[in-house]
Amino acid sequence: MSKRPLDYNLNRPFSTSRFSLSRIFKDTILVCSVLVVLIFGIFMLYSASGQSESMVLKQLVYMGLGFIGMLAIAQINPNSYQNVLINLYWIGLIMLIYVLIIPDERHVTKRWIDLGLFSFQPSEVIRLILPLSIAAFLTRKELKPKYSDWFISLIAVLLLSFLIYQQPDLGTSLIVFTSGFLPIFLTGFPLFIIIFALSLMGILSPLIYAGLSSYQQQRIITLFDPNADPLGTGWNIAQSKTAIGSGGYFGKGYLEGTQSQLDFIPESHSDFIFAVIAEELGLLGMSLLFLAYAIIIYRIFFIAFRSETIFGRLASASIGFIFLIFILINVSMVVGIIPVVGVPLPLVSQGGTSLATHLLAFGFVLSVKRKSGW
Amino acid sequence: MFKISDLQSQEASLRGLKRRSKIVMAFLFVLSLAGTIQILKLTVIQQENYVTESEKNRIIRVPVYPARGLIGLSGDHSLLVENIVSQKLTINPISTVNIDSTIKDIQKSIGIPEEVIHSFYDGISSNPRNTNITLMDNLSEEQVAKYLLHKERWPSSDIDAYLKRYVINGPLFSHVVGYTGAVTKQERDDEEYNYSINSRLGKTGIEKTYENELRGKVGYRTVEVDVHGKEVRELEKVLPLKAKNIFLSLDKELQELARRELKGRRGAVVALDPNSGLVKVLVSSPDYNPNIFNETAKGNLISLTSDTNAPFFNRAISGNYPPASTLKPFLGLLGLENEIINWNTKIQDEGFFQIQNEGRKYRGWKEEGHGVVDLNKAIVESSDVYFYQLASKTTVDQINSFLKPFGFGQKTGINLVGEESGVLPSRNWKLGRTGEAWFVGDTINLGIGQGYISVTPLQLAVAVSVLATKGKAYKPNIVERIDDTFIEPELLYQVKIKEKRNWKKLEESMISVIRSWNGTAHNIFNTESALIAGKTGTAQIKSLTEENLTVQEEYKSIRQDVKKRDHAIFVGYGPIPSPNLTVVVVVENGESGSAVAAPIAKLIIDNYQITKDSDV
Repeated sequence: MSKRPLDYNLNRPFSTSRFSLSRIFKDTILVCSVLVVLIFGIFMLYSASGQSESMVLKQLVYMGLGFIGMLAIAQINPNSYQNVLINLYWIGLIMLIYVLIIPDERHVTKRWIDLGLFSFQPSEVIRLILPLSIAAFLTRKELKPKYSDWFISLIAVLLLSFLIYQQPDLGTSLIVFTSGFLPIFLTGFPLFIIIFALSLMGILSPLIYAGLSSYQQQRIITLFDPNADPLGTGWNIAQSKTAIGSGGYFGKGYLEGTQSQLDFIPESHSDFIFAVIAEELGLLGMSLLFLAYAIIIYRIFFIAFRSETIFGRLASASIGFIFLIFILINVSMVVGIIPVVGVPLPLVSQGGTSLATHLLAFGFVLSVKRKSGW
Repeated sequence: MFKISDLQSQEASLRGLKRRSKIVMAFLFVLSLAGTIQILKLTVIQQENYVTESEKNRIIRVPVYPARGLIGLSGDHSLLVENIVSQKLTINPISTVNIDSTIKDIQKSIGIPEEVIHSFYDGISSNPRNTNITLMDNLSEEQVAKYLLHKERWPSSDIDAYLKRYVINGPLFSHVVGYTGAVTKQERDDEEYNYSINSRLGKTGIEKTYENELRGKVGYRTVEVDVHGKEVRELEKVLPLKAKNIFLSLDKELQELARRELKGRRGAVVALDPNSGLVKVLVSSPDYNPNIFNETAKGNLISLTSDTNAPFFNRAISGNYPPASTLKPFLGLLGLENEIINWNTKIQDEGFFQIQNEGRKYRGWKEEGHGVVDLNKAIVESSDVYFYQLASKTTVDQINSFLKPFGFGQKTGINLVGEESGVLPSRNWKLGRTGEAWFVGDTINLGIGQGYISVTPLQLAVAVSVLATKGKAYKPNIVERIDDTFIEPELLYQVKIKEKRNWKKLEESMISVIRSWNGTAHNIFNTESALIAGKTGTAQIKSLTEENLTVQEEYKSIRQDVKKRDHAIFVGYGPIPSPNLTVVVVVENGESGSAVAAPIAKLIIDNYQITKDSDV
């Protein structure tokens, strides 16, 4: 409609409910697409968890909290919390040091924080808030970042990646580095340095590899060659591929996937839920999910490139990319073209931490959209 | 100015962001392209392949085994071998949280010997993933009760009922029915029958010979399973084919009698119906309890296997013995047939024989000799010298070709495993065996059934049956019927002689062995019981060579060693004129065919007549 303030004010009383909803949602298409994926995810989780109502209920609680949090953040002016975001980095750092010093005794790896009611992996939160924090830091002066800003950011990212590598979790460490480096790259970090660093790593990698202990070497081998561990990762991937392939065009039907329902798919409710979708709903189901994802990503970039502030643009674009990267990494590992790293399928996989942080991140994107009617 | 530069920098940063975004997008596009190609490859191109793969994952065929067939006696329908229900405790190591502490807890609660635990741990690695492994079988009722009391402490364990083989009479039929044992890897890899890793199959005796009939035909169930191998539902079921029951021709009372009379001494008793080949008695002594192998009785296998009396050795079909004097009737027949002698041919028996009155003295068992001897007297009194002389006039070739149709030197083909063929020597046989040529002296030794010739008790029974039937031998058969199908008698040998009367006359001589006052087995004669034809034999283990000692003196020193004492043998059949039982008794180191072996044979023939009469 008209963008004139007078019209706007005049129209307000007559259509309160319609307008308030779109004001709360900020971007109805994005929010509705997210809702569609969430509802789809709940149904798939019910199937993948072996029809566990308690797991679905738990997920619904996180989903509700995350959704409310998303809408709440959407209402805030992004400029007002830019500094808060910068300082989120320190919280992440403290959490990572905490798990290394006081690990949760119920888990073998030092990845978990137990908060009584629930436990979570800080690295899951960090890989989403780190890019926001870095983006906020780099754009705090509304000018093109200086070299010093970039290098401070780079060191901050490398520090977190190193701490996660110590957990030990090489895969997540690489992902956290990627997500943290993303805003640095998007703000125009010189390409020649990247090329130089990459070629230096290429040259030095045999030396670094030789310098590692055999245990560390083994960890790298297992990451890149699942067949090196045929009863563990290799078997998982084979079962996952079997599920996807046997689903065919239209799938075996909801709750009818034999690989899924008979527990042949490992971690079917979390990292490998995509295999359940593929087996039960086939190529058709996968395509519809990808379509919903595509709309979400399109709307995020739509908002990002129309944002009035450099921070808004960078933060939203980073979130859009991270979302896309997570989808691609998860699907690629489930279909067996990249090594298995612990990345859940965004908005669908079981796991409250990941779900809630994704929704909160969307809240930032929505908050960037200051005006309705774009 | 300030505002313009700010706008410019805004513009520049947006352009920069879009440019960088395109680079990132390009990377991600490549990755998503690869993912799309992979998804299409899996779901479109390799779809069929993966559908099969997923079916193979979830659908398995579980074999269903029929209960093993029973073994019984055809005569009185009594059971010899049955299946009894036993309980075993199984555990699934994969789904056990802490296997070591669980096992320790179970062990403490129900009482499991340490060595059983050890063998369980040894077996864990060799079993396939996700299977229940037997922790202990043959649980006692008390152990089962104790288990059920604390059952919920060990969720990954279970009690399964299974069938075990139980031989009702224990050792009595051990050498006939044999025993079952765990399937070997080789047997599992083999053939059309799908043995499971826990299968037991026949290892010796009837259990082994009739394995195919006793095991039946395996059925199967097609079931859907989850990743832990746990059954979700049944899709298809094909019932197993019932196993066949085997009924033996043996006579339980005679079997018991023979075993009792052998008194645990090393030896064997074989009795069969000469008119059909059906075996009525087959005892090898000492014996063992097959239930130890079937794991339905406790026993010390090590002490059994290290027993120098070799209780597992089936002497009745595998023991090689010199036939000794029991060969004499056959050789007499040979002399008559080849017209070397006739019934009137007489010789002077002075206690020894020499070729052309010089060289080595072949001594008879009776120091002073038997005086004037014809064929009848030579059989009745068992004159060695008569048969030395007869043998010296024949050749090994003649002996070989004449004795062959009686079954000497050949397996009878009885339906038991491990039968030996004995030895019917020939020139070539000796050359191949010792590298030496055949000497006349070897032939002379054959004359009294010593030297290179050897027979199994069963073989001897078949040969004697030819005498009983006057020319026919049926294949010895221990299985009378399978379920309700009777096994037809199978003619094995047929011996034709020129003068048929000679059968009868030979039988007369063999009757006289018992009936005549000078017969070697006259000790078993009594007027009331059935008329028996027979022949004693005393098989030398160590030949008497010291010429300056008398036979008695020399044997006295040999006797010192029990194992060097002579074997006592008796062959016989009765009742005359229509014999229905041929009996061979061998008592190792029993010394006297007449005193030790003959009474057992007589008891068996007499008792058989009683059961025969009561049947009618």
